[in-house]
Amino acid sequence: MLYRTAGQFKTSYEADQALFPVKQDAFLLGVILLLAVVVFPLTASEFTFQTLLIPILIYSLTALGLNILTGFAGQLSLGTAAFMGVGAYACYKMITLMPWMNPIIAILLSGVFSAGVGVAFGIPSLRIKGFYLAIATLAAQFFLVWLFEKWAWLYNYNASGAIQVPNLEMFGTYVAGPQANSIVQYYVVLFIVGLLTWVCINLTRGNLGRTWKATRDMDIAAELIGINLMKSKLTAFAVSSYVIGVSGALFVFMWRGAAEPNLFDIPLSFRILFIAIIGGLGSILGNYLGAILIVGLPVVLNLVPNALGIPISSATVEHLNIMIVGSLIVFFLIVEPHGLAQLWRLIREKLIIWPFPH
Amino acid sequence: MKHFTKLAVAAAIAGVTAGAAMAQELYAPNLAYRTGPFAATGIPLMNGQADYLTMLNARDGGVGGVPVNGEECETGYSTEKGVECYEKTKSKAIVTQPWSTGITLQVLPKTNVDEIPILAPGYGFSPMMDGKTFQWAFNTPSGYWDAADMIIQYIEGQGDLNGKKIAFLHLDHPFGKEPLPVLEAAAEAKGFTLLPIPVGLKEMQNQSAQWLQVRRERPDYVVMWGWGAMNAGAITEAVKTKFPMENMLGVWWSGHDADLAIVGEAGKGYKSISWSFPNMDAPVMADIKKHVIDAGLSQTNDVEMQGVFYSRGLVISAILVEGITAAQAEFGTAEISAEQLRWGLENINLTEERIAELGLDGMVPPFSTSCSNHTGHSGGWMLEWDGAKFVKVSDLLKPNVEGYAALAAEKAAEYAEANAPWAVNENCGG
Repeated sequence: MLYRTAGQFKTSYEADQALFPVKQDAFLLGVILLLAVVVFPLTASEFTFQTLLIPILIYSLTALGLNILTGFAGQLSLGTAAFMGVGAYACYKMITLMPWMNPIIAILLSGVFSAGVGVAFGIPSLRIKGFYLAIATLAAQFFLVWLFEKWAWLYNYNASGAIQVPNLEMFGTYVAGPQANSIVQYYVVLFIVGLLTWVCINLTRGNLGRTWKATRDMDIAAELIGINLMKSKLTAFAVSSYVIGVSGALFVFMWRGAAEPNLFDIPLSFRILFIAIIGGLGSILGNYLGAILIVGLPVVLNLVPNALGIPISSATVEHLNIMIVGSLIVFFLIVEPHGLAQLWRLIREKLIIWPFPH
Repeated sequence: MKHFTKLAVAAAIAGVTAGAAMAQELYAPNLAYRTGPFAATGIPLMNGQADYLTMLNARDGGVGGVPVNGEECETGYSTEKGVECYEKTKSKAIVTQPWSTGITLQVLPKTNVDEIPILAPGYGFSPMMDGKTFQWAFNTPSGYWDAADMIIQYIEGQGDLNGKKIAFLHLDHPFGKEPLPVLEAAAEAKGFTLLPIPVGLKEMQNQSAQWLQVRRERPDYVVMWGWGAMNAGAITEAVKTKFPMENMLGVWWSGHDADLAIVGEAGKGYKSISWSFPNMDAPVMADIKKHVIDAGLSQTNDVEMQGVFYSRGLVISAILVEGITAAQAEFGTAEISAEQLRWGLENINLTEERIAELGLDGMVPPFSTSCSNHTGHSGGWMLEWDGAKFVKVSDLLKPNVEGYAALAAEKAAEYAEANAPWAVNENCGG
């Protein structure tokens, strides 16, 4: 009843291939956008911005980037964090070399650098695949983090070896750096993440997305029907690394404010991979759901004992937290190995045929 | 549903009562790390900090009649969690204690906007000693550059440094790189060769490559800037390579009893500079025993209490309380604000008499702060591992601050410029 599709007739191919063939989906997206654009920013505290809204959006975007490569094009990668680092350092260098540059342009441009690096590390994918490719991208992870540490030019010869985000102005307001307001940063992040999500949805639905999926499902068959595998794989690496690079720049400039090379190490790559897998490989929505679970849940769980007035030491909460999040991950993967996005898809199907299941 | 309503009501009541209880206290959160890779060093420090505050609350009813709430927020030494904790606690906090160089770097610019003092005793960014520029940051009683200077002084006391070779074994991380400018300047001035040997975070426990280099280069001394698992790794490797332990010296974070206890007698002679010292006979220890340990309010144990890190935690809380006391006296109010505490931390005068009054005899060197001097430069003692515990082997060493005051001013100005607009303390003269 809630999701009644009766009466929604499609009379053209265009209508049938629309992004929202069911009206309720469009309505739901409208509600979510309303929440994201109006309700959350108006009601959120500084804490909510800094620990929930902004990081969840940024992590969603990173996972989206990885998902394009792994979920859509079938190329395993373990070097996500390093590509984020490329984006962050590129943005830092651009901003410090050209202080007049618009920060949003700089962030969007920084993805270009990581796209280049991503393609370079994607070249082996023409010869190797699966776990072997994962190992090859792991080399990117080690090499790039080492480079961030050793190449002093990248961090402007800072004594501490860390990069620090300067105060950046845009139209008279600070958008990055310590003076920036969280709400401004949130809107910048929301705008960029929204924009790239929209681009990615359309890319994956279009020609390029279809060649990626064909490559993923069976590369030999794809080649036989005339898909250029090299082009398909390298565009996947380029688009994916671009998105990841932009998210890396957002990560440092719109959220953390400072970064050391070690930040972009394997644990972060794994974290992104968890988000992508738990959210659901090969889906766009899944990245958001995964990020909410992996990034948001621990923060919320941390607040629970305090809100209930249970006197429990902070260290114990942290231990409990790790256990709860860990078991939830296992639980979700057992219940729905295809991720949260698939879970939502099933619920939606059920809602459409409710109350008369077959 | 009924169940649910009950739960919600309970939660609401708990929230209200918690709010009421919070009215009369000084909220001094601590971004603790009792979990994660550095927990072994975090636990004694946090226990020391917590026990001192518990003791004051039990013995005197707090500071100036208001209890101090040193609530911990667990970070696991992760910068991300640290920022989360900072945001969570900052609304009512009068101070923030970030407890890691990474978290300090991250919250340093934020505190300048939020106007909350950072208390980072013995760690963080060395140019924070310039109180005019870093008006909200305090790294009392001594900074890393002080430590580097004192270590060089001590080595110089053993003989002329000209032509000697000193290996600088450090964590390849902002923390480990911190003293490099001062050591490089010293090498140039005194004519010794400085050999920096970085240890990557991944190689902390396995330093065979680094120690192979030490063996090949045959340095006269090894100065260690290590933390957590790196210390134990370095000390066991040094014993294995038969490096003369008396020629190995560490910063204060590299002087953890448990790291040395692993090698025991073989580690005899290892030294670490320190601005705190465990004195089990100090009156404060008796008070802690009476009000905290015997009352069952502590998480510590006998062995840990005798260690350097537990007493350091205690001293850190004592420094914070001194700041609170000074602010209370100046502003005539017990419930001070973050801004008033800043004044208090800028006007600490911990003389020998005051140390004795607090019952901290021999546990911390005397020092004083001012609006331009946020470090205090207390100096420190060289501690030596005698096979079972650390003992003092030097008189109080004082850092030669003039030697790097210009460098600190330059770095501070650089930082302020990179973070422009950066609010500085205009009213602070010299």
